Amino acid sequence: MTPRWVIWLGGILLAAVIAAALYFPSLRHQVDKVAQLTEKTAEQARRELIPPAPVRTGGPMVKAKLYWGTRAQDGTLRAVIVDLPLSDDPALRAKQVLNTLLAGPVDPEARTLPPDAALLAFYILPDGTGIADFSEALGTSIPSGIQSEQTAVESITRTLEANVPQVQRLKILIHGQEVDSLAGHLDLTQTFQVNGSGLAAQPARSGTSIITRPIQKAYEKMKAATKR
Amino acid sequence: MVVLDPAHGGTDLGARGTEGIRESDVVLQFAAQVKKSLEFQGFQVIQTRDANDNPSFDDRSARVNAQRGAVFITLHVASTGLEGTARVYVMPEIPPAEHPNGLIPWDKAQAPFVGLSKKLGDLVQAELAKRFKGSPTTAQLAPVRQLRTTAAPAIAVEISSVSVADRADLDRMVPGVADAIARGVSEFKLSYVVPTIASPGGGTQP
Repeated sequence: MTPRWVIWLGGILLAAVIAAALYFPSLRHQVDKVAQLTEKTAEQARRELIPPAPVRTGGPMVKAKLYWGTRAQDGTLRAVIVDLPLSDDPALRAKQVLNTLLAGPVDPEARTLPPDAALLAFYILPDGTGIADFSEALGTSIPSGIQSEQTAVESITRTLEANVPQVQRLKILIHGQEVDSLAGHLDLTQTFQVNGSGLAAQPARSGTSIITRPIQKAYEKMKAATKR
Repeated sequence: MVVLDPAHGGTDLGARGTEGIRESDVVLQFAAQVKKSLEFQGFQVIQTRDANDNPSFDDRSARVNAQRGAVFITLHVASTGLEGTARVYVMPEIPPAEHPNGLIPWDKAQAPFVGLSKKLGDLVQAELAKRFKGSPTTAQLAPVRQLRTTAAPAIAVEISSVSVADRADLDRMVPGVADAIARGVSEFKLSYVVPTIASPGGGTQP
């Protein structure tokens, strides 16, 4: 016959297992919540280090068009309209839209730029060249690859094209320096075409790289015309 | 001749997957099979690297720029993109290079070859699209750093992706990618004429 103390011990162990099984999902939920909170806090800290671009206080909200990716992460960009109090000053306006682009879309899977990257400076030269100086994280945290790097730059150029017509082309610096490539693939020694219609209508200036898809279509048309 | 460039290497691992897949390793495996397929088609093939080292962009370009009539193919594996697809990238139009001494500036070496690169890229991409559903049917334009300093028809082939759950999914793509590249290059060779560069004296030089 089984001693009474063994039955009691078995009962206690069984109760402990049931209690643990009931408590585990709640514990997991709490751990996930804490992890999310830590992530947000890190990102918040980074943003606090970068002074936000001055905004036109009291001014009317403007419908800014920002280009983020899609969940498919296949290089497709999707325009999202965001109400922003945009400045009339082109450089400040560029900072505002790029900071919003960096902050990311509602769906984090549609991000085109790494969450820990920051825009350190943006200025516009008299010839219409915009200089965007990003932190090192733009190159080190972006998913490596031609497609992902091209998508990142394209999201920047198309966002500028839609909101800051004064920027004709874009030069990307990393921490104030020109670098060879973004993350081993996309050429950052050149400038990227921002505003201005396509290759066929307006030949690129020296050192200009063109990456937008409409321009690729223009290239195809030009090639077909050359063949004829 | 074909110069094959397995990208990255050494301390530069390239794209990294959650399952420990490293682009710098995978491209060496792809390159070995592509080399076999090209040699089977009668091409002489050299690689910019055979081991886990990392030549600079310019060192890799120098391997092909020292050859006459060669083509250049750089192999990559992406972090993103539809798994099981492959894309070919070529440089967009580069403004005509000034060559007062009859020489092309190193940083615009690709300029005279952009049209030929697009043709080669389209041929290889068409072959890839036949084998890998969901791949584009024509080459894409992208300012890839490695291609800019290359004085030859030059393309970048990017496979998706290091994010596959099982490395075997990428391994299964190796023969198809190798065959597609070999067939595309063979077809390109039939019409490939090395461009001539105008010299200061008014003549031309190959």
